[in-house]
Amino acid sequence: MKSVIDQASHDDRANSLGGAGIGLRAPHYRELLARERCADWLEAHSENYFGDGGYDLHVLTRLRERYPVSLHGVGLALGSAAGYSSGHLRRLAALIRRIEPSLVSEHLCWGAVDGRVLNDLLPLPMTREALELMCGRVAEMQDVLQRRVLIENVSSYVRFAGDEYEEAGFLNELARRSGCGILLDVNNLYVNQLNHGSDAAAQIDAIVPQHVGEIHLAGHLVTELAVIDHHGARVAEAVWALYERAVAHCGCVPTLLEWDTDVPELDVLIDEAATARRRSAARRNCDVRAA
Amino acid sequence: MSAPLERVQADFAAALTESSAAAALLPALVRDDARVLDRLALYRGNVSAAWEKALANAYPVVRALVGAEFFGGLARAYGRAHPSISGDLNRFGARFGQFIDAFEHTRSLPYLGDVAALEWSVHAAHYAADAVALTRERIGALPPGELLTARFALHPACAWLRSRFPVASIWLAHQPQATVGLPESLDRSEVALVVRPRWRVEVLVSSAGELAALARLREGADIEDAITAGLRAQPEFAFPKALVRWVDCAVLVEPRPEAAY
Repeated sequence: MKSVIDQASHDDRANSLGGAGIGLRAPHYRELLARERCADWLEAHSENYFGDGGYDLHVLTRLRERYPVSLHGVGLALGSAAGYSSGHLRRLAALIRRIEPSLVSEHLCWGAVDGRVLNDLLPLPMTREALELMCGRVAEMQDVLQRRVLIENVSSYVRFAGDEYEEAGFLNELARRSGCGILLDVNNLYVNQLNHGSDAAAQIDAIVPQHVGEIHLAGHLVTELAVIDHHGARVAEAVWALYERAVAHCGCVPTLLEWDTDVPELDVLIDEAATARRRSAARRNCDVRAA
Repeated sequence: MSAPLERVQADFAAALTESSAAAALLPALVRDDARVLDRLALYRGNVSAAWEKALANAYPVVRALVGAEFFGGLARAYGRAHPSISGDLNRFGARFGQFIDAFEHTRSLPYLGDVAALEWSVHAAHYAADAVALTRERIGALPPGELLTARFALHPACAWLRSRFPVASIWLAHQPQATVGLPESLDRSEVALVVRPRWRVEVLVSSAGELAALARLREGADIEDAITAGLRAQPEFAFPKALVRWVDCAVLVEPRPEAAY
């Protein structure tokens, strides 16, 4: 009999997403609608499409006819001890029914206290208490959505004194116990290495490959005080090297190029996605089909 | 044994609201870097920046009227007075107009609160449900006499605002392709009508008669009743002209619940 993990891993590989996708951002709407398909898939921030109707949802619906889509949530703040919004989760469920995405993801983070929302992806202590909480929340989320979700590691400026796990160990346990997949953000691992002296390569090596359902890549900003995960530049060479390591370890996982600050011409994102395809093919015999 | 998660998060949230509260969080953090307080300030900056960006997105005309720098301060004051209650930042800022009305530093701009209220209606209209608008052909095909007894619903994006100030004119003067300048006198009342023909939200200068008629239609009244209400509110209300504008601006939809989808 197949184990749960084997089945999960089989599901990942059979996913309709492949190759390199790009983040869907409003400045590119017109061009994406007008052009032939120019990316393997698109990832949309779920909350931008929570309206009952209107232009954003219209564009996403039209693009969905041509592209596989991943819905990436930034607002559920699952790890908030005070609770999370069931209304928010219902709106996500409604959007999923409408868009029928290939993947749904959220973050390993918290962001609300007592009904007051901080609208940021705040870091969780890597403790057994936080793991218990996240396992329950992810299970509820998957229960409501009736599907498996991916949970992404975040970057942080501070670390907690009471940490009992490394990030990879926490994510592995979360995936094993809740049945979720891991959205591995390689740039975030690198940002944390620079901010806290953790070892990004060791984190990648420690991740259970079968859990990884998607990889995120983005640019960061080095400042004197801290490295900031601003998603406003091309992917750094050190991050590309870690990406190759992740592909060698996990296989050809769907990879997303994120860009949120000073969004450039669409062709810059397409070029970054082409680099991701090339660099992953160099490490694994991935399916390098033209976009 | 470290502090319970709920306590750590409450302390973290307090540290992001007031820098003076950061000390209470420090025992929970790794402090091998002396700049941990500065690092916390980065989070504080992120949170304010997210709120300011969300408000700037919903209130571009208010921002243009007060300038980017003042708007930043206004956004921070609003965030303290009315903290975000949703993980969806498009919902942040619903009470910005009321906040501005009561804010002492904007008293020299008495119209600003109403401009904000209008912009929130525009913002809401952008995300309102889609609906199939009535066409000229549909109206024209009505048998004689049936127009007066017809009942139509209003598009979910349709909204209006009565103001002591010319808010629609102020809004129009601040659009990227504006063809009109700011009104010469800001000391006159105006009625603004928010519509969404196709996808772009537009603001029209409306009238007491048009609004009275639309209000009756929204309540489920027939056209004849709406015309009567319009004429009562404004004797020169010209229904045929209003009807053409409603159809051109997708104000009227079929009165079926499914029409909203």
